Amino acid sequence: MTDSPAEARIDQALVIRARLGNDHRAFEQLLRRHQGMVRAQLHRLLHGDHAAADDLAQEVFLLAWRKLDQFRGEARFSTWLYRIAYSCFLQACRKRSWPTGDADDGEVERLPAPPYAVDLQLDVERAMQRLSLAEQTVLLHCVQLGLSHEETSYVLAMPLGTVKTHATRGKAKLKAWLAPWHEANDKERIS
Amino acid sequence: MSDLHDDAIEALLRKQFDGAVPDDGFSGRVMQRLPAHRRHRTWPLWVGALAGTAACFESLLSAPLLHIGWRDWAGGELSASAIVLLSAIAGMSLLACWWSIAEADDR
Repeated sequence: MTDSPAEARIDQALVIRARLGNDHRAFEQLLRRHQGMVRAQLHRLLHGDHAAADDLAQEVFLLAWRKLDQFRGEARFSTWLYRIAYSCFLQACRKRSWPTGDADDGEVERLPAPPYAVDLQLDVERAMQRLSLAEQTVLLHCVQLGLSHEETSYVLAMPLGTVKTHATRGKAKLKAWLAPWHEANDKERIS
Repeated sequence: MSDLHDDAIEALLRKQFDGAVPDDGFSGRVMQRLPAHRRHRTWPLWVGALAGTAACFESLLSAPLLHIGWRDWAGGELSASAIVLLSAIAGMSLLACWWSIAEADDR
């Protein structure tokens, strides 16, 4: 999920080609390399609304083409794209009043341990949705998209300390909510 | 009860994430909508800025307020004209500052 330095160098070279020569093919390569993760980010942010996420992803790449001169290489190209995608998402939320899926910021209560391990993923999903929007967004970027705290702070335009706080709180809540699974696992191992 | 570790939570979250979405013609659709030329023409912006500055300079040159304000300020006297002049300079600096921050934020 995280780009290696070699991948970052390829992106950088493609950006230079696209920028200097107005090269559509170079941009197309960038698009093909990054569309999957940008769309995955937007699918998550839009709680699985694939059509809306793809419309927004198109806007993101058209905007990236227009703003390519503004990419200075201070962040990785993928991080820059995530930032554009996140600000497009926020703008779209303001315009279209999408449900933000705001959540239970209240104190921890445990999910009952379901009997089958296949349900674990469902419970993780449910638990994620019970987190506050900020915690969900931070964990999506820090853990699922594999960004560092600093990169997440850049993408979300959020102070680094706030990113770390949301990540810690979010994980603590998930730990508490999902503890019955862990206990069930422990018991299975013992018996 | 043994505690769930951060690593275990992160592993669960990663497992729950579907990962990159397959292209399925998405890139082709975006490429069709891509404008042929990306470069913006910047000369109208510069011509406009220069014309605006020249017009501003021309109109202020004949206004006594500027001369009086400048003279009072240079002489260390904080008259009404000097305050107006200083406020105008401060206002323009603030606007320039706001513009630079907005531009930097865009990046």
